[in-house]
Amino acid sequence: MKKLFRTAAVATAAALALAGCGSGGASDPSNVSPTGEVKAREISWLLSRPADGAVINIMKKLAEDYAKDHPGFSLNLITTPDRPSYIQKLETLAAANKLPELFDTDATPFAQQLAKQGKMVDAEKLLKSLDVYDDYRPSALDYQRFDDGSLHMIPFQFELEFIWYNKALLQKAGVAAPKSLDDIPAMCTALRAAGITPIAIDGQDQWPLERYVAYQPFREAGPEFIQKLKKGEAKFADPAGQKTVEWLASLGKAKCFQDGFSSQGYSDAQNQFTSGQAAMYNIGTWELPSLATDKLNPTVRADIDFLTLPTTEGSVTAANEFVSPSGIGMAVNAKTYDPLVSDFLKFALTKYPSEYAATGALSPTTNVETAVPANATPLYKKALEMANDLGDKQAMPWDTQLDPTTNGRLQQELVLLVQGNITPEQFTTTMDSTIAQNAPKFFK
Amino acid sequence: MLPNRSRLSVLVFLLPPLLLYGIAVLFPIMQSLFLSFFSWNGISDMEFVGLANYVRMLTADDIFWRSFFNALGYLAICLVLQLGGALLVASLLTSMRRGRELIKTLYLLPAVISTVAIAFLFVRIYSIEPVGLLNQLLHWIGLGALERPWLSDINTVLAAVSAPEGWRFTGLYMLIIYAALLSVPKELEEAARLDGASRWQLFTKIRFPHIMPVWITTTIMATTYGLRGFDIPYLMTNGGPGQSSELLTTYMYKTAFTSTDFGYASTIAVFIVVECLVAVGLILFMLKRKADA
Repeated sequence: MKKLFRTAAVATAAALALAGCGSGGASDPSNVSPTGEVKAREISWLLSRPADGAVINIMKKLAEDYAKDHPGFSLNLITTPDRPSYIQKLETLAAANKLPELFDTDATPFAQQLAKQGKMVDAEKLLKSLDVYDDYRPSALDYQRFDDGSLHMIPFQFELEFIWYNKALLQKAGVAAPKSLDDIPAMCTALRAAGITPIAIDGQDQWPLERYVAYQPFREAGPEFIQKLKKGEAKFADPAGQKTVEWLASLGKAKCFQDGFSSQGYSDAQNQFTSGQAAMYNIGTWELPSLATDKLNPTVRADIDFLTLPTTEGSVTAANEFVSPSGIGMAVNAKTYDPLVSDFLKFALTKYPSEYAATGALSPTTNVETAVPANATPLYKKALEMANDLGDKQAMPWDTQLDPTTNGRLQQELVLLVQGNITPEQFTTTMDSTIAQNAPKFFK
Repeated sequence: MLPNRSRLSVLVFLLPPLLLYGIAVLFPIMQSLFLSFFSWNGISDMEFVGLANYVRMLTADDIFWRSFFNALGYLAICLVLQLGGALLVASLLTSMRRGRELIKTLYLLPAVISTVAIAFLFVRIYSIEPVGLLNQLLHWIGLGALERPWLSDINTVLAAVSAPEGWRFTGLYMLIIYAALLSVPKELEEAARLDGASRWQLFTKIRFPHIMPVWITTTIMATTYGLRGFDIPYLMTNGGPGQSSELLTTYMYKTAFTSTDFGYASTIAVFIVVECLVAVGLILFMLKRKADA
């Protein structure tokens, strides 16, 4: 028995050692123009986008067009729209060193480690070599950059996040749309007194509530706060941190979010807003087809408007600077990068923007104009025009910035803070110690 | 003692399942044990840390202990619903003359519905905005004061995620116990009845002792399943709000696949294996002592 035990242990060790040896690609991630013949084969893109969304549909079509001139080529799209499941899949495949030619990722600390290990092609060089770099909106590229300024992901979208509100409901409660973030708690109290749910939020997916924690520090201390916080160089105990903690606690105290929000999903929250039960809803331009076309419930259609992230007194960022993400980016696997992948990307990336803009969405590039759909309400155009007047800074979603353990704990503690289950002091202590414990592993 | 030839044939027949068991169960457990001594995030180099993961788990991780006690609460609720419910329904079934098959099928039905469907169903049942079935029922019977968002309230969420798991397998254990109850010799029961035994005495002195071996098996099954419970809590609340419905299994999963801390997650996995073995040992010990007494 003892012998069997030892053999099993040795076998385990050997298997793991072998797995370890297999890691690391031989290719140079900065070599963006591989030489050689373009040999058609199937390539795969592991992605996290809606299965019937514009990006997938367009890329499918472009791949078919490319295959006409390159028989034997095909693009295998493997999508997992649910983001947490996707991230798990990506991380597991990365651990097994089995990443496909193309894969989606945000500019997370995990992705930065992959980039440092030379597993992702330098996207800035790649885009420059394809002569499309200058077409991209600087803020669309900045969203994809790591803190050191390096670029390893290519954006396929450009979105602006707004606070949508129902004018009639605000009027019924006798309140104006908030001019400052600090007006929101009082607004919620007035709305609740009038029997109206102030803000509809998708609590189940956790990122929507995490947006709220980013707002006050972005206004108070600018985009640098989160860059320092995630490394443990800034703390929730600092003034900007305390401001957001106290503000969130006051949102909770004023019962800003619908009852039981933490177990309600994306469509529940949206339905509450579009059916006229909730007065406010924070969402991006990807929902324009539901919020700014005749698909929107006619009873609320005339009452809906939006505002950009309110500023605060002494705000260091301007009103035209807010959350403007270019969505999850696409990384190119350095290990499998060859003349075919390069040639296909050249073909696809030059043709993609015009096709994408034709669907009524904002392209990450500036060389095309978005087509406003025939059934759009005036808000659609107004929303698109906001993209032309953006400031230099942007509020980064914190879920793409923090290390995964801190991020998970923050999402949990935020719910408790807003529900009033823990005090701002408890929240601050827990989060600061969580960051101190986990950040060094990711940002050493 | 078996003659040589038959010992060989026993070996031949036992070897394939043993091999399969070794590959599918023992090997992963050994691998977890091995990994638990390392710090590894999947893409970094593996760093040997000795017992550091165990020290962190047992002394410095508040979520681990929270999850452990949550898991015990979850287990208790599941066991009461599954074994208690199963025994009750099975006993009632034996005294029913009509409609037994219908009742059996109805109780067994949840066991064949997919877990995801059950999780979504119960999220709707517990909902408050829009009003779900449970809150609506409370309102109708005049207990409106009890209406609450069951899955968002940190005091009710653990019971709320345990109940669907308990409800789901009550039917399965009911079938097993019912089959055992049918095997109780009728003559014994009749003799006891003639001696003036009450229904309760009949149950405690004759029926229950007779189904004891089956009861032990079902208790072990239900306990190990309960300790491994994962899918319903994960799908319904993802361990939230806060860590109120976090179980060791969901915490281990998140540590491995969200935090990519495979070394520490393996440490938790080893703990779960030990915990299951201890639980089974305890059950056997207690029931044996009871039987000997």
